[in-house]
Amino acid sequence: MKNRLQQEGVSRNAIDAIIENYRGNAGSLLSILEEVQNLHPNKYLPAATLEYIAGAAGVPLSRVYSVVTFYAFFNLKPQGDHSIIVCRGTACHTRRSKNLLEYLKSILNLKEDESKEGEKMFLTTADNKFTLKTVACFGQCALAPVVEVDGVIHSHMTENKLKEIIEKVSRGGKKK
Amino acid sequence: MAEKKVTIKIDGRQYQVDAGISILKACRQVGIDIPTICYLDGVSEEAACSICVVEVKNAKTLMRSCVTSVSEGMEIATATDRVRKARRLNLELLLAGHPKDCFVCDRNQTCELRRIAYEMGIRDVRFPKATKFDMELDQTSPSLIRDPNKCILCRRCISVCANVQTVHAIDATQRGKLTRISTFMDKGLGNVECVNCGQCLMVCPTGAIIENNAISGVWQALADSRKYVVVETAPAVRAAIGEEFGMPAGSLVTGKMAAALRRLGFDKVFDTQFSADLTIMEEGFELIDRIKSKGALPLITSCSPGWIKFAEHFYPKVLEHISSCKSPQQMFGAVAKTYYAEKLGIDPRNMTVVSIMPCTAKKFEAVRSEMDSAFDYWKQKMHLKDEERFPDVDFVLTTREAARMIKETGINFVSLADERFDEPLGVSTGAAVIFGATGGVMEAALRTAYEVLTGKTLEKIDFETVRGLKGIKTAEIDIDGKKLKVAVASSLGNARVLLDEVQKGVSPYAFIEIMTCPGGCLGGGGQPIPTTDEIRQKRMDAIYQEDRNMPLRKSHENPAVTALYKEFMEKPLSEKSHHLLHTHYAPR
Repeated sequence: MKNRLQQEGVSRNAIDAIIENYRGNAGSLLSILEEVQNLHPNKYLPAATLEYIAGAAGVPLSRVYSVVTFYAFFNLKPQGDHSIIVCRGTACHTRRSKNLLEYLKSILNLKEDESKEGEKMFLTTADNKFTLKTVACFGQCALAPVVEVDGVIHSHMTENKLKEIIEKVSRGGKKK
Repeated sequence: MAEKKVTIKIDGRQYQVDAGISILKACRQVGIDIPTICYLDGVSEEAACSICVVEVKNAKTLMRSCVTSVSEGMEIATATDRVRKARRLNLELLLAGHPKDCFVCDRNQTCELRRIAYEMGIRDVRFPKATKFDMELDQTSPSLIRDPNKCILCRRCISVCANVQTVHAIDATQRGKLTRISTFMDKGLGNVECVNCGQCLMVCPTGAIIENNAISGVWQALADSRKYVVVETAPAVRAAIGEEFGMPAGSLVTGKMAAALRRLGFDKVFDTQFSADLTIMEEGFELIDRIKSKGALPLITSCSPGWIKFAEHFYPKVLEHISSCKSPQQMFGAVAKTYYAEKLGIDPRNMTVVSIMPCTAKKFEAVRSEMDSAFDYWKQKMHLKDEERFPDVDFVLTTREAARMIKETGINFVSLADERFDEPLGVSTGAAVIFGATGGVMEAALRTAYEVLTGKTLEKIDFETVRGLKGIKTAEIDIDGKKLKVAVASSLGNARVLLDEVQKGVSPYAFIEIMTCPGGCLGGGGQPIPTTDEIRQKRMDAIYQEDRNMPLRKSHENPAVTALYKEFMEKPLSEKSHHLLHTHYAPR
């Protein structure tokens, strides 16, 4: 298990410390998963990491998988250096978030796999610089349409504003 | 004892019911059957299907009766126009996401969704089918197949797996329209902790979980004139298969079953009860041996393959306590393809062993890689090559599958005259038939252990304390002044209670019987649907009735088993028996 964790690029001690921190708190799985995902250089939760968390926290594997697939926040695949999340909620949709999504796909040269239709969208550029995802709703409907870039929600988005933001984060290099 | 009562009104009539119970239970107590799909008494209260809605006065919305408690003065209406329309709407929404392939569905006769659609008078589903029903089936398990296209997400399977069996192999994954019931990382049932017990299948209201069907392979073997095809039937099958032909639960149909199987064309109709008696000899002597030599105690029974896989996943430290005896199914296969094949002068490669089991985990057990001892026995004698390797048991049919085969040939099961099993592997005692009920292996072992240990005849052979549907039963047995503490558990959730003690080294017992399914094999995942506690009890009564009917009721009195030892196996725990009748376990 230790070797598999190492291959996945996370330290067992760091995970242990996080779990220990929440020991005894019912319903702490979400917080544990969130912190461990942030530990990972590519901000995701690989299989062996999940197995380790399940064992150490005493939660069934199937439940851990249920939780990480339910929340859009968790990633099972490695993320690019920067993450872009387009809100596809009703308010954002009526304010043309679909167009923003299509625009991003075109400027980042991303294509959706037709065979994966119906699955959660998760596209990463060939140079591993950007990962493009969608979310059902950020709860920021008054600011629609919104797009989150590297954890910051940007309101009243337009194609021009998006272009600027992306150029800016590109120049800024890899997010810590 | 006086429970607090509340006064409520249901459909205009006043009732006194226990405080705190659900509206659903209150209604059922007063004779109103509110339709439900996802609800399972004592197992699942997921409130997922919304079929059980009722109107409650002054409530803003319709309430789900399964999860709403009654309260003083509550006024409930269960059949108003609003309620009926809402139920129909909810049902139509479920049906819109369900394929209309009933006539090729395994659950055609037992589908709860189909029945409820009929009862609610659904003629047409107003919503277009939005899905293509092209989701991939989970066929990774040798025992069970999951078809997510037929799943209506009621979550009963999750509840039974988590709450009754404590295996947690499956859960809801993804969200919204992508939601499906799946395993960790969608690896499939065959690649996770699933123990193949099939309790999920038993509670599935649709055909979303079915057994991995072995019928066509059996037909093929029966049609092949080069094959000598023998069949073995587990004890619990004879107390249940009648239900598949419309007979009441608890019908004992041993003779009809033997007759029907003979008509299907099996060369010999044998009985797993023969090898159940053999199991008692081996396991009984193992117990005696461990008591005398101060080996690992408690000794735990090994007949139930779901429990074995459960131990391999969750209790690796307990493995040394589990009897090394193979299950009766596997002992039968090993004996048939060695002793019996030799006796008849048949090439074991041409013998096909089919077993009929109340169980889905038996399908898994038969394909475990170590279950081919007969091949190893013949390998040197016949100069066999490794590619010719054959399993001890070739095909495992559930009770349901066996009934389907009988139906397919048009045999009128109910009117068949009783026939007997063939000799010698069809000879058994009452001790073997009770293997089908929780506590039965324990009782059978005690009958033999007592007489072997004391050399005296057991006067009272009914050990009532280990009988019944209770999840955990304990008893203290007096063997000539020596006290033997024993315990019996059925369902893996109950087993955990006893196993935690063993793991901690504080178990007070010398011998523990564990059965995977509630009630034992009679409630197994291969049995007729539905299986409820009431039906389990009736099957159990039939099994003990059969025990009383048998002229011989102790395994060591089985003349065919005695002959097997004399002619072939020498004695219990002999070297030959270790090769053919015993096995080993490994942590997973």
